[in-house]
Amino acid sequence: VPDLVRTQASVVVCAAEPVALDRLASVESASVLRAAPDEVLLVGRPQEGDAIVAAATRLVTDADPDAVVLDATDGWTVWTLAGPGRTDAFERLSTLELPADGWVQGRVAGVPAKVVVATDAIHVLFPAMWSEHVRALVWTTCSDLGVHDVAEPQPWRCPTPEGRVTR
Amino acid sequence: VASIRFEGRSVQLRSDDTVAAALFRGGVRTFTRSIKHHRPRGLYCLTGDCANCLVNVDGTPAVRSCVTLAEDGMRVRREGGWPSTERDLLAVADRLHPVMPVGFYHKTFIRPRIAWPLAERVIRRATGIGTLPTGRTPGRKPARTAHTDVLVIGAGPAGLAAAGAAAEDGASVLLCDEARIGERLPPGPALERVRALREEVSPNTGITLLERHMAVGVYEGPFVPLVGEREVVHVYPGRVIVATGAVETHPVFAGNDRPGVWLGRGAVRMVAGHGVPIGDRVVVVAGTSEGVDHLRALVDAGANVVAAVIPPGSEPPPRTPLLAADARVASVLGRRGVGSVVLETATGERRIACDALVVSIGTTPRDGLLRMATGLPVVGAGEVVSPGCSLDEAVESGASAAAGSDVAGAAAEAPPRGSAGYVCVCEDVTVHDLETAWREGWRSAEILKRYTTATMGACQGALCARHLASLAERGVSASSRSNGALTTARPPARPVPLEDLAAGVFEVVEKRSALHDRHLAAGGRIDRSGSWMRPYTYGDVSDEYRAVRERVSVMDVGTLGKFLIGGRDAATLVERMFPCNVADLAPMRTRYLLALDEAGYVMDDGLVCALGDGRYYVTSTSGGAEQMDAWLRNWIDRYGLHAHVIDQTAMLGAINVAGPRSRELLERLSDANLGATALPPMGAADVTVAGIRCRALRVGFVGELSFELHHPRGRSAELWDALIGSGGDLGIRPHGLDALDVLRLEKGHVYLGQDTLPDDHPGKLGLSWAVDMTKPDFIGRTSLERMAAFPLERRLAGLTFDSPPQRGAPLLVGDRVVGRITSCASSPALGAPIGLGWIRAVDGAFPTEMRAGTVTATVVATPFYDPKGERQRA
Repeated sequence: VPDLVRTQASVVVCAAEPVALDRLASVESASVLRAAPDEVLLVGRPQEGDAIVAAATRLVTDADPDAVVLDATDGWTVWTLAGPGRTDAFERLSTLELPADGWVQGRVAGVPAKVVVATDAIHVLFPAMWSEHVRALVWTTCSDLGVHDVAEPQPWRCPTPEGRVTR
Repeated sequence: VASIRFEGRSVQLRSDDTVAAALFRGGVRTFTRSIKHHRPRGLYCLTGDCANCLVNVDGTPAVRSCVTLAEDGMRVRREGGWPSTERDLLAVADRLHPVMPVGFYHKTFIRPRIAWPLAERVIRRATGIGTLPTGRTPGRKPARTAHTDVLVIGAGPAGLAAAGAAAEDGASVLLCDEARIGERLPPGPALERVRALREEVSPNTGITLLERHMAVGVYEGPFVPLVGEREVVHVYPGRVIVATGAVETHPVFAGNDRPGVWLGRGAVRMVAGHGVPIGDRVVVVAGTSEGVDHLRALVDAGANVVAAVIPPGSEPPPRTPLLAADARVASVLGRRGVGSVVLETATGERRIACDALVVSIGTTPRDGLLRMATGLPVVGAGEVVSPGCSLDEAVESGASAAAGSDVAGAAAEAPPRGSAGYVCVCEDVTVHDLETAWREGWRSAEILKRYTTATMGACQGALCARHLASLAERGVSASSRSNGALTTARPPARPVPLEDLAAGVFEVVEKRSALHDRHLAAGGRIDRSGSWMRPYTYGDVSDEYRAVRERVSVMDVGTLGKFLIGGRDAATLVERMFPCNVADLAPMRTRYLLALDEAGYVMDDGLVCALGDGRYYVTSTSGGAEQMDAWLRNWIDRYGLHAHVIDQTAMLGAINVAGPRSRELLERLSDANLGATALPPMGAADVTVAGIRCRALRVGFVGELSFELHHPRGRSAELWDALIGSGGDLGIRPHGLDALDVLRLEKGHVYLGQDTLPDDHPGKLGLSWAVDMTKPDFIGRTSLERMAAFPLERRLAGLTFDSPPQRGAPLLVGDRVVGRITSCASSPALGAPIGLGWIRAVDGAFPTEMRAGTVTATVVATPFYDPKGERQRA
């Protein structure tokens, strides 16, 4: 039975020259999602957005003074599929092939999304305006799998011990 | 005892019965009527390839009864024929061949044209190919995705061997078959070999087995949808091995479609598998060693074989009366079924009384999936590429395919064709029909197919495609054993319900703003506006309008596209992207922008705000946000600029505070100086409102003093509540899209998409003022220069009406249509109907007065309301 959990996370977006973004691999306690050569999403625990922005700004602005680093937490919703049926549920929602660990981006539930795979969970980041759509769709599409809605939001946990997902 | 209901009676079931087996045991011999000639058709292949056994099961038409397991309580009925399939008066069509030649519809229903719609209805009903169920909700199967290194389609000897070999090499393997493994094989060596191979395929070898999952087609990717009984699986394999085997060759001779004529595998499956005799006197014509196996299996199962033809040198079963080895079937005689068979030999003809004829003269590749996969990493294995191969050869072929070899066997020999009989059983196309079509000049397989409809039936050419190809290759007079080009194979390879094609298709995606719940709580009527769910009204459009014009109102405009543009080339990017001048834009000043494509046509509009730190904030329409994002990124790449775009549409909410008392309201919630000097029209300021950091833009769409407050989405509800809460005594109320439509129309503002056409340049919309042609370059500039040389032939104009018109109504001068109304509303400010509409130049001049039905439309200047913009600049 898969669990559907609302995960609270800070999301920071960095847009800069590729060489500057290469430095972000060392941001503490944030998962690093390289969405494009010149764009990175940093995902960390809730309330840590300002700290992540500060750390990322420090790292990238040396190499690219025109870099843009923004706290984009409001723009993203994170739904997490957990439990033993999580992969079955995800296979109903997307044609993306899940990596063993790391992350992919593409359409999930018909919506552009970032998917971070942890050992015990699949975190899916959606633009916030689709949050309810996705939740409703998970229920419709996975009802026969017995999906269970976890009422209590969970804080983001870095999906790897190093806290980084750079694939 | 388990049973099914069949046309008012009960038919008992036995273990592992298919619907066809149960009905056949119950005495049913005619299963369908052919679609054109209404000839009776009975069981034939029993491998799911032909269309002879289609019945209606539980309201679902065209179910292949020979491969559908019977379940207790099923309700089964036949379709086709009138008044019944058994006694069909429409069978008179079988005697009308001379007046119904091939191409009958093309030749007969050309004139009068009006006859065709009526004829089509009559013909459609007469075919009897089933009635689509109505009034029931389609069952949507869940769809899931599967990724695998190797997909093997078909779990016969070759498929099982291929799956095993691929798994041994460490590949993840998905093995599927439309039946349970071995289910459709008659007892014999093939079944035993398959069972042995299956033992080797265990779950811990990395093989996922999906039985009763039918491959619908092979698409680019490769992508292979599998339709199962309870799910649809979308498979994305690294490569595909097609091991779908072969269907027994469809023999063509006079009377080859009569009930009682069987293909060998089908006959053996019925007799030896289901234990149902196919007749009292059986004639067997075997052309291959497999055919001899069939003969042996029938005799062993107790069939009374009264005559048999076997290849020279074959060992017949004991006490089987043999005929000359060169004997071939000339015709089958009988009225409703087989009465006798006429065999032709070198020494003459011989007629043998019988009630069942079993023909097993070879195999034809079941290669539709393989042929539709040209250019993809897809190979075949076993009989699909080497029809007639031995079991050992099939296993070896499977292993080779797993190793990556493209095992191309010898081209399948074209099946023998008699001078009469049905080539395409599904579509009722005879040898005579094809010969006629050939003589009329249709001389390739593709056009013969289209003209005669051969191969277009439920079997998708499994039985007849090679007959057609050989005829097209060699013509009617040649002894055609050479195989010509086959027609193009396309999905679906097997019949598939439409509802299964929809499995996994997600509902229309709905975007919701952060204030969705607030709109609902306020009684908002929410509906789609593009891809967003937005409030159209909160119950009183008039008061919403008045709140904006006379008091203060708020509107959720968080749906607007919002982009931050940074990087050292940010200024260059916006300067080149948009036709307005950006270089002279002072910090925290905004300007209206149009987004033009290379042809100079208007794609979108919005605002650009200089933030003063080398960055720009750009907005677009709600519906245009995704396109604007892609458009900006595309041009950054094409120009090679060092600029970055961050789409803030989802991050930021936006609330428009509008109305003559809007400043008063905001000053209650903010310490910032929002006066006309500090924050002038088209100005911007970063301010704090109700404790929330906002970017306030002095812009508006409604023609009143207004402030757009862009803020973090997560605090939208808090800001909304503060504004509503503080504005009670000012008469605040939110307004929706219905009120906005009137407000913006009074200002003459256009709705892109509603008031515009895809080939509108700014001049046609009266927006030339938003284009700075003194700029050296921007996207669309060259096209605008070129178009400026030509006079306008169409333009958008403001209109007033003497009575309310219909939106979309044509505008006429005399009897000539010169335009169309794109927007209209009754203007409270003017007390009259107003609108926008397209008008065309007539004799070089635009008309000033037109007619829209009974309404008179007069062209006027816009804006209709506050033409000097004094209220907005307050």
